[in-house]
Amino acid sequence: MYRIRFHGRGGQGIKTAGRILGTAFFEEGFEVQDAPIYGAERRGAPMFAYVRAARAPIQERGVITHPDLVVVADETLVPVPAANLMLGVTADTVLLLNSGETPDTWRQRLNTGATVIALPVADAITDRAALPHIGTRCTGAAARLLGVISRAALERALRTELRALDDASLKANLDEAFRAFDAMAAHEGVVHEGAAISARAYEAPDWTDLPFEPARVAAPDIFAPATSVQVRTGLWRTMRPVIDYAHCHRCVWVCSTLCPDSAIHVRADGAPEIDYEHCKGCLVCAAVCPPHAIQAVPEHEAAKIEAGGAG
Amino acid sequence: MSDAIRRMKDLPSTHLLGTGTPMCAGCGGLEALHQIYDVLGTNTVFVNAAGCMTLLSVYPFTPFRGSWLYTAMACAPAGAQGVRDALDILLTSKRLPPEDDLQTIVLTGDGAAYGMGLSSTSAAIDRNLDFLYICYDNEGYGNTGQQSSPATPHAAQTATNTGSRGFPGYKKDLFGIWAAHRPAYVATVIGAEPLDLAKKIEKAKSLRGPRLILALAPCPTGWDFDPAESVEIGRLAVRSGVWPLKEYIDGKVIHNHVPHPRAPVEEYLKTQGRFAHLFSPERNDALLGEIQAHIDAYWAAVNK
Repeated sequence: MYRIRFHGRGGQGIKTAGRILGTAFFEEGFEVQDAPIYGAERRGAPMFAYVRAARAPIQERGVITHPDLVVVADETLVPVPAANLMLGVTADTVLLLNSGETPDTWRQRLNTGATVIALPVADAITDRAALPHIGTRCTGAAARLLGVISRAALERALRTELRALDDASLKANLDEAFRAFDAMAAHEGVVHEGAAISARAYEAPDWTDLPFEPARVAAPDIFAPATSVQVRTGLWRTMRPVIDYAHCHRCVWVCSTLCPDSAIHVRADGAPEIDYEHCKGCLVCAAVCPPHAIQAVPEHEAAKIEAGGAG
Repeated sequence: MSDAIRRMKDLPSTHLLGTGTPMCAGCGGLEALHQIYDVLGTNTVFVNAAGCMTLLSVYPFTPFRGSWLYTAMACAPAGAQGVRDALDILLTSKRLPPEDDLQTIVLTGDGAAYGMGLSSTSAAIDRNLDFLYICYDNEGYGNTGQQSSPATPHAAQTATNTGSRGFPGYKKDLFGIWAAHRPAYVATVIGAEPLDLAKKIEKAKSLRGPRLILALAPCPTGWDFDPAESVEIGRLAVRSGVWPLKEYIDGKVIHNHVPHPRAPVEEYLKTQGRFAHLFSPERNDALLGEIQAHIDAYWAAVNK
């Protein structure tokens, strides 16, 4: 059985990528299972989709914990713990990263024995949530790495799953998918089918047993206020709003009221301050700021500057 | 909130609603809700019908500092009746001091408010239930991928109306339906106009009985626009007359803002992917004209 996981951000077409690959497998006569993981499937939020394909009926269910191929559409997800993209990655796994850096760099950085393959980033892109056609590029590359999906089956799958698109968008997606398919020729068939996982080999995770308790105790009641602040939605951000305090007019009632997420608070000195732990990067503040004192900076660049400043 | 809100500067500068919610970046509904919550305060119990905002409180996380309860889609006002009755029993039996009383708030999207939950809402108003109904109206079933709802505007494309004419129906007049019940208060608001919103919430808070706050909620995901445009699109909805800011009180409807000059509706429609089929591959003058005529007729009746 082939077990494939696609990691990306909401808006990059990852759900569709898994779907297209599943349909391509189906076109080649495989039994297929594909699904996105639903959760906070919001623009920019880390999300993943998975595909299983086998020549026999598939009895396995749920999230793939023993992947044969992991496709990472967005390299900026690597340091995000919530993305959990290294889950179950071993020396037998192939890791396909959409990245401008070399496989060796990634092997060292991730300290992994997995086979790492880089799918070069198409162009210089500022907003990671808007990577053009990244989903279809990943599908095209993944199909070639698997070695069991023909160009014709891939095309039929793309045309089926993208039938709602207009002709120009469909053509652009086909071109991108085939370009990636061709670029991976040297690695054709590098992904091997994983062994069947027996129920007998199942090992219980290291969990904590809870005693059965009465409903008053066990019901999902929350007694503390505003616990949502523990959720770091700042990880969704692909563009960072930065306040230029030299030009800020201190009209805090504008940005702090219009920020949908209550993520701009007013400091003791009357200046606004953005809470980057929670700012989702919608950039409403930059759009409404009367003196235009808020600039949008690509998050990966802002993070680099921050890291450089700290080191 | 002792001083009345008169100017933008009077708007609350500390925000009560917690960050870290799973609402989409640029959510117009969350923008309105956090502003509303700042005025209402924490002595509230939110009864939340299924919808996008059900995701606000997913165990063990909640952005609220007061209480919250989840109901099925059609019955939030019935849930609110139970909560209000329980509070009243506690108050009359002196088990709850009056200063600890909570305002009963219903929070739903347009799917529940305009459609599935309308029957239980009507019945709650009939019983003169003391509650405040907040509807975040993003004109479709947003949480499940923007299928059409009775709040979807004419000609908008949705997941269930993908053709070149979009949604064939017309947006239901929920404000009018509520007003016909002769409740204590009905008002339309939008997060992009925070001063108008805050004044209306202060007024609603001071009244008793059934009250509706109907908030248009620009939805980057369902309406297909860049999240940064959320506020500008909200302002355009008001400027073009698509979203009249008005209130019903003491048997009368008052328009708080008559846009003058009124922007052509095209300016508003152009900003959103759900109306892109009206402009390309070719302009649909017939449909654009129909939408504009509808708005013109509304304002002609207001100005009469």
